Amino acid sequence: MADGILLERQGVPAVSICTDAFGITGEAMARTYGFPGFQWVSIPHPVASLDAEGIRQRVEEMLPRVLDLLGVEE
Amino acid sequence: MNDTQRAIEHCYAQGWTDGLPVVPCDEEALAAVLARVDRDPGEVLLAMPQINRAVTVRLAAINAVMAGCLPEYFPVVVAAWDSLDQEGYPRKGIWQSTTGTASLLLVNGPVRRELGVNSAGNLFGPGFRANATIGRAVRLTAINALGLEPHELDQATQGTPAKYTACIGENEEESPWTPLHVDCGLAPEVSAVTALTMRSTVHIEARHTNVAEQLVADVAGTLRRTGALLHRTVSACVVLCPEHAHLLADAGWSKRDVAVALHEQSFVPREELDRAGKGAVSQKSHWRVARDHPDAVVDPGPDPARDGIRTMTSPDAVLVVVAGASNSGVSAVVETFGPRGDRPPVTRIAGVAAP
Repeated sequence: MADGILLERQGVPAVSICTDAFGITGEAMARTYGFPGFQWVSIPHPVASLDAEGIRQRVEEMLPRVLDLLGVEE
Repeated sequence: MNDTQRAIEHCYAQGWTDGLPVVPCDEEALAAVLARVDRDPGEVLLAMPQINRAVTVRLAAINAVMAGCLPEYFPVVVAAWDSLDQEGYPRKGIWQSTTGTASLLLVNGPVRRELGVNSAGNLFGPGFRANATIGRAVRLTAINALGLEPHELDQATQGTPAKYTACIGENEEESPWTPLHVDCGLAPEVSAVTALTMRSTVHIEARHTNVAEQLVADVAGTLRRTGALLHRTVSACVVLCPEHAHLLADAGWSKRDVAVALHEQSFVPREELDRAGKGAVSQKSHWRVARDHPDAVVDPGPDPARDGIRTMTSPDAVLVVVAGASNSGVSAVVETFGPRGDRPPVTRIAGVAAP
């Protein structure tokens, strides 16, 4: 979350991605950085125990939202 | 409700507690604590720029009062923060991690007797104000000054009871060996505190033997359990009860001998790691993963004749101290995040006389 906020503040478009289990922590971190409205992509938990195919599915699911937050128009 | 209760409830309402009642702090109480150290109240003891927070001497003092510390405990609390800063894991964010670590504070030297720091029976348990409140002062400061509140910036999946408080003295009087601070170059009459990032405290029940080799083998079983392996290796502080320490010393073992033997016996066969899905290491995260993980590298072991690894990098990953009562053969393995060969952050306690 911090990395995403810091990159955006440096003018580098960035999207933070975290699992839904860390939503409250993510909001707290964004508030800590003075950016309570910071938007990120939330994906289902878990990630660490997924196999390669599971990771690929997560990426496919999240990609439209990542592009949306980056402001990419298809 | 009386004034005392109202003050305590006010602290609860502000979110200033660990769940237990705190002692309300006023300017007079704060001044009495600050008077016990020769440190500027504005001095930063530990900074976490990644969350834009820092612990100053003043904030540490307020939380020491709230934790129930007497003013004379405060030099130990300040030295504990210096040690935590030197150890490094907390300021890098380990207190926010899902692992849910605490910080064990190990106290050495005459200050144990002066303040009543328990180093004997019920070492990790309740009943001793200095142990209870010095350790608690660190946790309350983490919550109140660093903002590490559970469910928010503290993401611990389960945590540990040691997060309420974890402060022990070394039982130097009943140890057959030199204490930790003397091993690290300080004089016996100097007092010191050493902070260790810890996960679990595991009991070693070994009342059955007077054979040094059997005792060491019994301890080693805990040091090579696969469940502790998040990263490639682990480290530990082995807290031997006086009975176990004397059994070993009488058989001619030094603390170094114990560490060398425990390291040697931390060998886990590859098939045992594979059964737990931890037979390899991720190149990127350095976490243990199964061999079929796309990022997996099988880490080489010490012995070409039998495939497997040691769970510790060297004998330096084992810190041996002596504490507890001289009444039974019960020791503990404190599973730590370090040191893995670094010098433990043994920090001199520097107080000033009562005003």
